[in-house]
Amino acid sequence: MSRLYDTVEPAVIDEEMLKKAVEEQGPKEEAGKIAKQEGIDFGDVLSLRLDFLNILKIDNLWEFTKLTKLQLDNNIIEKIEGLESLVNLVWLDLSFNNIEVIDNLDSLTKLEDLTLYSNRISTIENMDSLLNLHVLSLGRNQLTDLENLRYLRRFKNLKTLNLSDNPFCKQDEYKQYVIAFLSNLEFLDYRLVDQQSRDAAIEKYQVSRDEMLHNEKQAEIKKEDETKRQQELEKHKNAYVELMNGPDLFEQMYAEDKEGQKLNEMPGLEDQLHSFKEKFMQICTQIFDFGIAEHEKREEEVKSFWECVEEAKQDNKRLGMVHIDEFTETKKRMLLEMSQMSDHKMVEQYARDYNDKIQVLWDKLMGLELQLVDQLEEVIKEFERNMQDMVGTFVENVQALLSQCRDLENNHHEKMMEIAIVTLEKVIKNELDDEISDDLKMLLVDKDTIINAVSSSHDVHLLKIDNKEDDIVTRINQSLKNLIEQIHQDEEITRNRMRVSEINNLIDHLREEMDNLEVMQN
Amino acid sequence: MDSSEMNEGEIHQIDSDDVIKEEDETENEEGEDLTEDAEALKAELAKIVVHPPSYEQSLMEEFDQAEFSPSYKDNLPKENLVLQYAENFRRQMVQLYRDRKPLFLNPVNECGVEKFVCTTIRPTLLEFKELYNWDGAAEFVADYLNIEPLKPEYELPKRLISPSTVLKRQKGNCFEYSTLLCSLLIGAGYDAYVISGYATKETCLADESRDICPLLKKKEEVQEEARKKEMKKYNVKPPRDLRSKFELKQEAKKEAEKQAEKEKQRKEEEERIAELEKPPPDPYFGLRIHAWVLVLSGKREVPENFFIEPFTGLSHPMDSSNYLGIESVWNNVNYWVNMQDCSEGVKGLSFDLGDSTVWEFMFPNNDKPLLKIPDAEDDLNDMDDDEDDEEHEVEKYLDMPPSWVDALKLSHRDFQMRCPHGKKTKVYKRAKLEKFAHYLMKDGLISRLSVYEDRELTDLMKVHEYYAHRSDKLTQKLTNHRTGQVCENFDPGRPRCLKEHQFKSSTPGPENERVMIFYHEARVDGLVKREETQTEMTEEYSNRDDFLFYKYVEFGKRAKKFGPQETSSANKGRPINKMIQKFHRNRNKPANEDIAEIIFHVAEDKIHISYHTEDVRIAASTREFLKPPNWDEKGAVLTFNPEMHQTFQVDPMLPMNKQVELYEMLMELLKAEEKCRNEVRDSQNEVRNILDDRTKEEAASELDISVYDTERNEKAKKHRRELERQQLEEKMRKQEMDIDYLAPFLAKIGNPEKLSKQQAFSLKEECLADLKQRLIDKANLIQARFEKESQELEKKQAWYQQNQVSMGKEDEEEYLTYCKEAIFRIHILDLRLTRHKEQAPHKYMQLEQKLRNDERLSEFF
Repeated sequence: MSRLYDTVEPAVIDEEMLKKAVEEQGPKEEAGKIAKQEGIDFGDVLSLRLDFLNILKIDNLWEFTKLTKLQLDNNIIEKIEGLESLVNLVWLDLSFNNIEVIDNLDSLTKLEDLTLYSNRISTIENMDSLLNLHVLSLGRNQLTDLENLRYLRRFKNLKTLNLSDNPFCKQDEYKQYVIAFLSNLEFLDYRLVDQQSRDAAIEKYQVSRDEMLHNEKQAEIKKEDETKRQQELEKHKNAYVELMNGPDLFEQMYAEDKEGQKLNEMPGLEDQLHSFKEKFMQICTQIFDFGIAEHEKREEEVKSFWECVEEAKQDNKRLGMVHIDEFTETKKRMLLEMSQMSDHKMVEQYARDYNDKIQVLWDKLMGLELQLVDQLEEVIKEFERNMQDMVGTFVENVQALLSQCRDLENNHHEKMMEIAIVTLEKVIKNELDDEISDDLKMLLVDKDTIINAVSSSHDVHLLKIDNKEDDIVTRINQSLKNLIEQIHQDEEITRNRMRVSEINNLIDHLREEMDNLEVMQN
Repeated sequence: MDSSEMNEGEIHQIDSDDVIKEEDETENEEGEDLTEDAEALKAELAKIVVHPPSYEQSLMEEFDQAEFSPSYKDNLPKENLVLQYAENFRRQMVQLYRDRKPLFLNPVNECGVEKFVCTTIRPTLLEFKELYNWDGAAEFVADYLNIEPLKPEYELPKRLISPSTVLKRQKGNCFEYSTLLCSLLIGAGYDAYVISGYATKETCLADESRDICPLLKKKEEVQEEARKKEMKKYNVKPPRDLRSKFELKQEAKKEAEKQAEKEKQRKEEEERIAELEKPPPDPYFGLRIHAWVLVLSGKREVPENFFIEPFTGLSHPMDSSNYLGIESVWNNVNYWVNMQDCSEGVKGLSFDLGDSTVWEFMFPNNDKPLLKIPDAEDDLNDMDDDEDDEEHEVEKYLDMPPSWVDALKLSHRDFQMRCPHGKKTKVYKRAKLEKFAHYLMKDGLISRLSVYEDRELTDLMKVHEYYAHRSDKLTQKLTNHRTGQVCENFDPGRPRCLKEHQFKSSTPGPENERVMIFYHEARVDGLVKREETQTEMTEEYSNRDDFLFYKYVEFGKRAKKFGPQETSSANKGRPINKMIQKFHRNRNKPANEDIAEIIFHVAEDKIHISYHTEDVRIAASTREFLKPPNWDEKGAVLTFNPEMHQTFQVDPMLPMNKQVELYEMLMELLKAEEKCRNEVRDSQNEVRNILDDRTKEEAASELDISVYDTERNEKAKKHRRELERQQLEEKMRKQEMDIDYLAPFLAKIGNPEKLSKQQAFSLKEECLADLKQRLIDKANLIQARFEKESQELEKKQAWYQQNQVSMGKEDEEEYLTYCKEAIFRIHILDLRLTRHKEQAPHKYMQLEQKLRNDERLSEFF
């Protein structure tokens, strides 16, 4: 529905309008009075209604971060915008406006109820993140394409849908189409979808529906596999041996080694190359297995460490709470006794006692805290030592295995050299039986060239292995350092400061309470 | 064993008799020449009068011989054979083991016929599922029969009554008990035996007054091993112990000494009591004959051998001190004689019945595993074969005849009555147990256990009563006569889900000390327990959506009213001073907003809130509100100012709440207080209602009867009878339907097997003519009635015409109604006549058709 909005002055959402709306819709009666005196923070408002205000542009709503319900119906809004910060929104009403495109709703992931009734929307789109949607109203819009409705399949929770008064409603198969392809729907166009019509609709579109379901399932499986693979890789990365269970390192060695690739074409090299690759791969697998095992061991270590720390903290907390509870009991008793006393001196005596008790409580709590600090310090030190040992053995072993790789490479290099020289001789003597590529021919011109080529290939390989080693060693050391630092920071410093400030705060409060009481009695 | 051996035994016996005679004679000869001393001795001896042993003939109960089947009164040839064989066995035993007591082999039965004991066992599986397990069967036998002690107690009984008769007369001696129980156990698949042997006086007389009642024995609590704290790698070290070790040691020493002292005292006390409770010495110790049941392991998943005492129905271990010796053991297949030494009771006896060195068997077809020789040894094979052959011959010769006893029968009603006359009383050490059959007592009592302080059963301590089938679901009632405490237990299914109710019998009314425990799963409010004292009430909840788990209310005294007592004041609750509600942690809320405890200081117009403690903190936030002065006025505007609120926030960094929020919080709290107060009132009312219900139920004490119980359930009975009646009627109706329309005509011509054509035609004609006649008769009848009715009407009309002038209004009306009715009747008759005329031909045609199709006549048409 379009109105002649240019006859009326469009309004702007400004502070005045918002204030008025908030006050009108805020608490009533006495509470309203208090609220007015105090002023209402826009940040606290949970629901807001801005209807029939001739608003053209949504704006200035960024302050309402807690808003769960927003009504902007019966305005002349042309574009959805300015709602990005209202992430808590559950209910959004934009009906009776002039919106043409669904857009800018991506941040409203909690949205459950969206009404876009009576607008000018022609395609359903840009709602991928609204996965919690329960109710959607798109009635009286410009929707023409039934196929477009398949977009709504992604909303698994969608139960209520309104599409009435759209151009495609005139098509005969409209209703059955919707029911068949959105079979989770419970209400369509104000009516309950009964089982009978659902069955009929599904039957009608059986073939295409099955196909669609099949495709969806395939996609889902694919996605799952992908995530699984990702997780696996992530795990291997955490173990610092990612891709070592495959030919990755070996391939990398040859990836930047053009001469090596050429040289590999030399006749009589195949067997050698094959066995070299096999042996190399074997060592890589060893590294991989070892790395995973070590990783699991480290995880176990970290887990048991955290368990023990948590336990210690819980024990400490329990003791602290017992002390506080005990004190609260005494406090209650003393206050009762004091309130019944008339003798001034006695009261003062009691007050002094009470203050002493507070001091004792402080001592106890602080004592507990200090004890915990000591205990944790010790444990953390031990943990650090153990972790360092473990990392040390890991690094050593990996290095040993990689040096085996190097040996292999050296052997391979020597063999390569021999074969290269033999081949060169053959080439020179023109005894070579097989055809060789031009690239290789370029290398097989004289002895220096071929030796240079082989050595440079060897150097590249060694470099790759060194790089891998460096990478593993630096990464594991870095992460260990981070972990230890984190533990020191969180468990020792932050926790301690927080607890101490908490104890002091409590003690101050107790003292203050006493002072107030004394003042009152005086 | 052949006859020659038997003869030898006889001869031997005779010889020994002769020897005794000779000895007597020599004694007599010596007595003839007397010295003076001897004279004096003789005078002394003369004073001693020796009576011949007067045999106390216990009057044997006589049975009506007519009610027994012939197998009871006579022996089959095979049985006779077995009896002879048993006699032979006995003689051999006597000859070989001269100083052994006689064996219990061939007692007479209730008809005075000798029967072999093995054949008296009649393995039976009755239809009651309780009897399928040994404990149920033993308990049943112990309950169902009354004990007849042996007379004299050191001699074997002369008679063994069959288990079927025992079931009928509901009493028996230990042998009869054991035989019956053994029959049931073997029938249920147990490897059970009757044992004849010796036992203590207490066991023989089923005197349990020195035993603790089995119901009172505390179940051995499975002590959960204190879960050892797992030593983990990074466990923190405990803080250093700064106390003096020496002092600790000294203290521990002192403690240990004290403990030892106490232990010693306790032991002494125990010994003293044990000494006091020891039974008096028994002159017949070791001679008292008893019979009980042995169950061997192996069958029915019995893991270990054990004894069952038939009088009590309890199991005893194999080394029980109650049993002093075993003579013989038998089941329905074989008879074994114990060859082991019983000087130390039954301790250490072997029950490997296949071992012929310790158990002498009577029949060689011993199904017990003999000491097996490994089959692998080839050279023994031949010998084995020979032995096998021999055994085959023997087996043919000595097959145990089937039991002569009739099948055991037990009616459902008798089984439910359990004890003779449905009642039984047992006395235990400081306790008395009374058992009643179900539905016997009006209030559903099925057993009552009274516990006494002393052994003479005079000083009652507590009474434990068990009920069944009560409509108020009461199952147990424990009355402690010392403290006056009563504890009642209920089954689920009561209207207010009460499970347990403890109160003082002196103050059963509301607002007194009591504890009520509920089936909280069934209650909407999840109430688990409600405890009351005179001024307090505590309620515990579980599994509530609002996380409430505890509620405490403190009541003040009722304000005394002067002037006339209002009746409503009794219903009005006591004023509430204080209410406390505690909540579990709701993980969906931040700890600082999740209320842990609300205290409504009603008397001081204050509300105190404590919040839950955050995970990383030790202190909790608190908040206190003063209620606005006019809070209880209806419709009043409640004001609020900052002084009415105090708070302590654990985290000082958190922003303070706004005034509006506080105001709304206060409003919520006021509502919560109102709600809490209402709930308290409701609780009070509920208590009152429950107590009212209890009084009513106690007065009525109705019993529920299951719909499946056709014996007792009147309604079900009626229903069944009705069904039966209906069925009968249905049957009758069907029979009527089948009445043959040709029968009378066939009878006329004498029901011939086959009809001739002529007969058939005449039959048909006759049948049709008969129908025609009947139709005409009916038409005539209707016609006649119609005419009669019309005539009468005419007469009446004429009469009316004549007397019209002189008639009163009433008469006139009478006439008019008559006319109306008469016309109606005439009309109906008219209708019927026409209808009859219409239908008569149809009926005629129908019959003709039917006759045509009748199989007897069809061949002719």
